[in-house]
Amino acid sequence: MAPHFFCDGIRRRDFLKIGALSGTGFGLSDYLGLANVNATTKARANSAIYVRLAGGPSHMDTFDMKPDAPDTHRGEFKEIATNVPGVRISEHLPKLAKCADKYTILRGVSHALAAHRLGAEYLMTGNRPMPALKYPTYGAVVSKELGAPSDIPSSVAIPKGPNAPTGFLGLEYGPFETGASPKAGQAMNIRGLSLSNGLTLNDIDRRNSLIKRYDTAFGSFAKEDKVLSGMDKFSQKAYEMMRSSRTREAFDLTRESASVSGLFNNESFSQSCLLATRLVESGVRLVSVQFGGWDTHRDNFSRLKDKNLPNLDDGLAGLFKTLDAKGLLETTAVFVTGEFGRTPKINQRGGRDHYPRAMFCLLAGGGMQGGQVIGASDEKGEGPRERVISPDDVAATFYHTLGIDHTKEYHTPTGRPVMIVRHGKLIPELV
Amino acid sequence: MIYQTARLTALACLISTLPTAQAQSFPTPSERFGDPTSGAIPSFRKHVIPLLGVRGCNGRECHGSFAGKGNFQLSLFGYDFDKDHKEIVRDEDEIRTDKENPANSLILLKPTMQEKHKGKLRFKKGSWEYQLLLSWIKNGAKNDSKSTPEFDRLEVRPGSIEFTNSNQTRQLQVIVHWRDGTAEDVTELTRFRTNDESIADVDEKGLVSAASPGDTHVIAFYDNGVQPVPVYRPISRKTGNDYPELTTSTKVDELVVAKLRKLGIVPSAQCTDEEFLRRISLDVTGSLPLPKEIRSFVADRSPLKRSKKIDELLKRPAYAAWWTTKLCDYTGNNPQNQTDPVFRNEMARNWYEWIYHRVRTNVPYDQIAEGLIMATSRQKGESFMQFAKGMSQHFKTENPIPFHTRETMPFYWARRNVRQAEEKALSFAHSFLGVRIQCAQCHKHPFDQWTQQDFKKFQAFFEPIQYKANTPKGEKGDKGNNYQSLMKELEQFVGYDKEKKSNRKELRAEIKRRALAGQPVPWQELYIVNAKAKPSTKKPNNKKRRYPGRVITPSVLGGEDVHLTDYQDPRQPLMDWLRSDDNPYFAKAFINRVWYNYFGRGIVEPVDDMNLANPPSNGPLLDYLAKGFAESGHDMKWLHRTILSSDAYQRSWKPNETNLQDERNFSRMVVRRLPAEVVADAITQATASNTRVTAMTSSPADRTIGPDMLAKNNKKLTSMNYALSVFGKPDRTENCDCERSNAPTLLQSVFTRNDPSLISMINGSDRRAKGWITEVKEWYSGKTKSTKQANGNKRLKQLNDQRKILLAKVPKKPRNTRDTKAAQRYQLTIKKHKEAVQTLNRNISKLKRGQSNGNLAKRQITAVETDKLINETFLRTVSRMPSANELNMARTDINSNQDKIEGVKDLLWTLLNTKEFLVNH
Repeated sequence: MAPHFFCDGIRRRDFLKIGALSGTGFGLSDYLGLANVNATTKARANSAIYVRLAGGPSHMDTFDMKPDAPDTHRGEFKEIATNVPGVRISEHLPKLAKCADKYTILRGVSHALAAHRLGAEYLMTGNRPMPALKYPTYGAVVSKELGAPSDIPSSVAIPKGPNAPTGFLGLEYGPFETGASPKAGQAMNIRGLSLSNGLTLNDIDRRNSLIKRYDTAFGSFAKEDKVLSGMDKFSQKAYEMMRSSRTREAFDLTRESASVSGLFNNESFSQSCLLATRLVESGVRLVSVQFGGWDTHRDNFSRLKDKNLPNLDDGLAGLFKTLDAKGLLETTAVFVTGEFGRTPKINQRGGRDHYPRAMFCLLAGGGMQGGQVIGASDEKGEGPRERVISPDDVAATFYHTLGIDHTKEYHTPTGRPVMIVRHGKLIPELV
Repeated sequence: MIYQTARLTALACLISTLPTAQAQSFPTPSERFGDPTSGAIPSFRKHVIPLLGVRGCNGRECHGSFAGKGNFQLSLFGYDFDKDHKEIVRDEDEIRTDKENPANSLILLKPTMQEKHKGKLRFKKGSWEYQLLLSWIKNGAKNDSKSTPEFDRLEVRPGSIEFTNSNQTRQLQVIVHWRDGTAEDVTELTRFRTNDESIADVDEKGLVSAASPGDTHVIAFYDNGVQPVPVYRPISRKTGNDYPELTTSTKVDELVVAKLRKLGIVPSAQCTDEEFLRRISLDVTGSLPLPKEIRSFVADRSPLKRSKKIDELLKRPAYAAWWTTKLCDYTGNNPQNQTDPVFRNEMARNWYEWIYHRVRTNVPYDQIAEGLIMATSRQKGESFMQFAKGMSQHFKTENPIPFHTRETMPFYWARRNVRQAEEKALSFAHSFLGVRIQCAQCHKHPFDQWTQQDFKKFQAFFEPIQYKANTPKGEKGDKGNNYQSLMKELEQFVGYDKEKKSNRKELRAEIKRRALAGQPVPWQELYIVNAKAKPSTKKPNNKKRRYPGRVITPSVLGGEDVHLTDYQDPRQPLMDWLRSDDNPYFAKAFINRVWYNYFGRGIVEPVDDMNLANPPSNGPLLDYLAKGFAESGHDMKWLHRTILSSDAYQRSWKPNETNLQDERNFSRMVVRRLPAEVVADAITQATASNTRVTAMTSSPADRTIGPDMLAKNNKKLTSMNYALSVFGKPDRTENCDCERSNAPTLLQSVFTRNDPSLISMINGSDRRAKGWITEVKEWYSGKTKSTKQANGNKRLKQLNDQRKILLAKVPKKPRNTRDTKAAQRYQLTIKKHKEAVQTLNRNISKLKRGQSNGNLAKRQITAVETDKLINETFLRTVSRMPSANELNMARTDINSNQDKIEGVKDLLWTLLNTKEFLVNH
C-alpha cells in the first residue's frame, strides 16, 4: 500500500498505523489499547463526563445572576448564598448551592456563533466550526488518546451523540449511543450490548461458535488480508464486550446502592447522571449526557423554575456528590455547558433569545480546584467584564486535566495538520 | 484559445523522448561553488532557495513555520522568492546577510553552529554549501527571480530503475532545463522522496536502494519541478519470456498484464459465476442478486451470459440510484448545507433527482458536470416574478413539475460551505478534477507544482458566482416585482419584525404555504455578478497580502492566463478547459473513481489525490481509458462496460504465490468491505419478505441509495440511520472522498451481532415491514395461504366477477316476434351465452375443489423443505449455494432445534455475521 503524505510534506508514518490502515482494522490496538503514553501530559483525571445543556441555558437565571440589573434585564429569580462564601447562584438551584465547593463556575465565557448547530459544534470540539472541516468531539479525542479496557466502550453518549461525532478522525472513535434515557430502578438497555429479548450468555456463546464454524470461506487468507483479519479482531472484541459482566452491570441501575440512588430523583436527566457515574466507575473514558429544553424564547422563567432548574439541580448535585463519595471526583473531569447564553434583555414574550457574547460553563473534578468563580460578565450580563474566556480555553483546560496536550497535532485525511484545540490557552486557576 | 499544459506534458514524455546517449556531463553545484576561486556566481532562485530547501531550513518545523523561528520566517517550501529575499536580506540591520563582512552573516553563522542555532548543524563551515551562500552574499545577495528564465522541465537519470536483488543501489542524477535552453546538474539541490520505502528507499543525495520486491516511485523535487522515477523489483522469476502464456481478451487486460509481466506477477484465475454475479450486482447496483436470479444465471449455458448480465444491470434503476449516490458524494449533496431553511430537504432531493434522471438516461458525464458547474437559476430573459413562480412549480403539492426537467441544477453553488470563492475553488477541484489544492491556499504545494499564485489565479474564476437574493439593475425599484418587494409584502402579511425577529416561524410557514400552492415566493438564486466580468482586482485579505494591489489574472490549473473579458460567464472558459482533449484531470478523475468502485483502489491512489508526485500505478491503462471515454463522448456506460468486461475485474480473490501482496496492479480481486448504504440495503434484502425484496430491485424507493434518504420522510429508511453512520456513510461536508469510510470497526461488529434493529429485521416481526422469517413461520403455521392458493383465490374472484357481468347481460328477446332473422340471431346469442355461463360455472367449481385441497395446516417441516430453507438462506446472504459440508452442518444445527424455524433464524443471523457477507470479494 502506497504511503500517503501530509500537506506539510511529512511522511504519514505514524498515521499508517491508524489512518491508512484504518481500512484494515489496525486502528484496533490504538482504539482499544492502553493509554497512549507519549501523547499524554501529567494526567490528573482518567475519565470525563460532558453534560450538554442543549438549546443554550440562560446564564442570568442560573450561575451568573445580576440582582442589581434593571427590571428589563434582571429576571424574576433571586440569588442565594452557597456553601462557598461570596459565591451566589439562583434560588432554584438549592442543592447545587450546598455543594458549590465541588465545582468551579466560569462566567463571561464568550464567542460569536448564535446558531444552535454552530454554537454546539464549537462547544463540543473547542474549535470554531469551519465549513469544510469537521473537528472531532471530546469523546472522539478522548477515545483516541486514552483508549479503554477491551471489554468496555471507551465513550458512551446518553441518549445520543451529535452528528458526525468523530469529525475527521476515524469511525472507530465514535461513541456508543444508549438510544434512550435510563429509567429509575431498571437495567438500561444499551444498543447491541444488552441481553434483551431473552438472550442469554449461552446464546451469545452458542452464536459465537456458529460464526466460527460458518465463517470459513476465506480460509487461511483471512489471516493474510488486512480487511478480513481486522474484521475478525473486532468481531472477537465485540464478543468479549457482550460477554463481559462489567459493561452490563454498569448499565444496570438496580445494582446501585440505595444510599447513592437515593440522591437522584426519577427524572431522566438525574437518572442519566447516575448512569454516567456508574459508567465512569466501570472504566468508560468519556460519558456525554444530553439535557435539552433550554431554548426558552418564551416563558423563560416558568419553564426554568418548574422544570429545567429543579432537574438540573437534582442531577448535577447528585453527580458531584456521588463522584465524591465514591472517590471518583479526583479522577473524573466534569464539564457542563450549553452552546451559548441567552439575551440579558427579556423579550416581549417573557423569553430570552440566543446570546453567545456571555455564557457560563461549569468545570469540576479531575484535580481542578472547586469553589471558584473565574471570569465575570459586566453589570447587565451583556459581555465579559474584562477577561475573555473562549470556548477554546475551556476545552484546552478540560483536555489538560485529562493529560491530553491540546496542542498536539492530528492530520486530517487530506494531510492537513490540525491541533486538537487550535486556539486554546489553559485557564491558570485550574491547572 | 489554446490551453497549455506544457509543464505536464513535458514531464510526461520526458523519459521516453530523451535518449541517454544525448546526455552530456554537467558540473555539480559542489564542483561549481565549492571552490571559492572558481568565480561562479550562485543564483538566488536556482541555488540559494533550493539549498535552504534541501537542508530543511524552510520546513514547517523550522523557518517555514507560519510564525517563523527565531524571528526568521521563510515561505514554506520556498517559491515566494520576493518575500524570502526580503527576509534574508534585511536592509536596515544587515545581520542575516552582511555585505560588508559576508562571513559574519547570520545565515552562515547559524547553520554552521558558529552561533547558537536551535536547528542544529545544517552544514559545516567551509563546505560547498557554505561557499555557495558566501559567494552569493559577496556578489551582492541579489534577488534574481524575475530575471531567471522560466522553469522548463526536470530530467532525472535514469528514467526508471529495475532492481533484481535487495543489495542493489542506484544513484540518480537530476538535471534542470530552463526555458532559455540552459541546463545544469542540480542533484545536490534536489529533495528526494520514495513513495513506498518497503520497496525502495532514497537518501537525501539521491541514492536509491532496493528493499523488498514490488514497484513504486521515487520522486525528485526541484524548484517547481516534480519528477517521479518508477522503481521495479520483480516478485518472481516469471518475467519477460518466462512469463506464462496468457490470453488477454480486452485492451484493458493487455495493459494490466503488460505491467504484471514486468513484475513477474501471475494473475488469479477467473472467479466463479456465483462470485461474479454477487460482485457485479453489489458493485453496479448496490444490491445483492435475488436467489432466483442466482439460480438462473448459474444454470445459463450461454458463453455470453456475463456480458449480457453487465448490460442488463446497467439498465436497472438501482444502477442509476447507486451512481447518483456516488455523484452526490463527490459534489457534496447534504441538506444541512442548503441555505434555504424551508425547503432544504426538498432541494437536496431535487439535486438527487436531477442527477438520477440523467444517469438513468445515460446523459454524457460532461453534460451532467456542465449542468452543475454552469447552472443559473433564471432562464434567459425571465423576470424575477416569472422565475419565482417557475421555481414554486417544482415545489407545489399538486402536479409539481419535476425538477429534473430544468436544464441546470443550481444547488451545487448554493451550499453554505462554498460561500467564499476559495471554498468554491477547493470544492470544484475536488468534485471535478480529483485534485487537492488545499496546500497551495497558504503555501507552495509540497509535492505538486502548485504555488500560492496558481491558487489565486484559479480562485479568480469563482469570484463572480453568487447564490443569494438577486436584484439586477433593470429590476431595482421595480415595486412589487423583485425579491425585496415580495419579501416585504410577505413580512407585512404575517407581521414579521426584522428587529425583534417576531413571527419568524409564521413567515416561514407562509412562504411554505405559498410555494406549496405554486405561488411565487422570494427564492434566492444562482447568478453571475457583472456579466462580462473584469479580472478580479480584489485584494487578498490582510494576512496574505503578498501581492499588494496586483491584479490577479485567472488561469486554469497548469495552463495559461484567461482573459475573462472575452466571456459572458467566467465559468465558460473553465468548462471549455474541462472538455479540452489535453485536460489532464477532468475525465481521469471520474475514470479513476469508477475504477476505484470496482477494484477497491484507484489507478491513482488515494483516488481523489492526483498530483505529479503520486503517479498512477498503471499510466498507460489510465490513458487508454481516458482516450476511450473522451471518444465515446463521455459515455458513462461505455466506461462501466469496458471495465466490467475485463478479465481483471472478473478474477478470483484467491491469491497465488506471486500476487498475495499485490494490491495495486489488479492481479486479483481485492476484498473490500461493503459501503454503508450497500450493507444496510443488503441486510434488508437478506431479511425482508419476498415481495419487498423484489420491489427493492425494481425501484430506488425504499432504498438507502434512493431519493427518500435525503427527504427524510420514510420511517423504514430513517431507522437505518444508525447503521449507516456506524458503517461510515459520508456526511458530504469535506472535500475528500475519504469521508466515506469502508474500514471495519468494533461498533460494526457489535451492530451485526446484536443491534436491536438488526435482530428485529431478522425476526421480521415489524408490521410495517414483514420479514422473511415471519413469512416462513406463517406459512408453516397455516396462517398464510400458499402462493398457489393465493393465485387461485385471485382467479376465483375474477371468474365470479365475469359471471356476474355475464348474468347481467342476458340477451333480450326481440320485440318483433315476426322478424325471423332477429329471432334466429337471438337463439344463437342466447345459446352462446348459456354455454359461456356453463363454462364459467364448471371452471369455478373446479377451482373451488382445488382450493379446498390447498389449505395449509400447521405441520412439521420435512427434510426436503429444510434443505430448501438452508439453500434459500445461503442465497439470500452470501449469494451462493451451500457446500456439501455446510449443508450437512446446517441440517444438524437446524434439526437440533425444537422449532426448526428458530434454527433457520440462527443460520440467517450467522451468515449475516460472516465476513463473506460483509465484504465484496
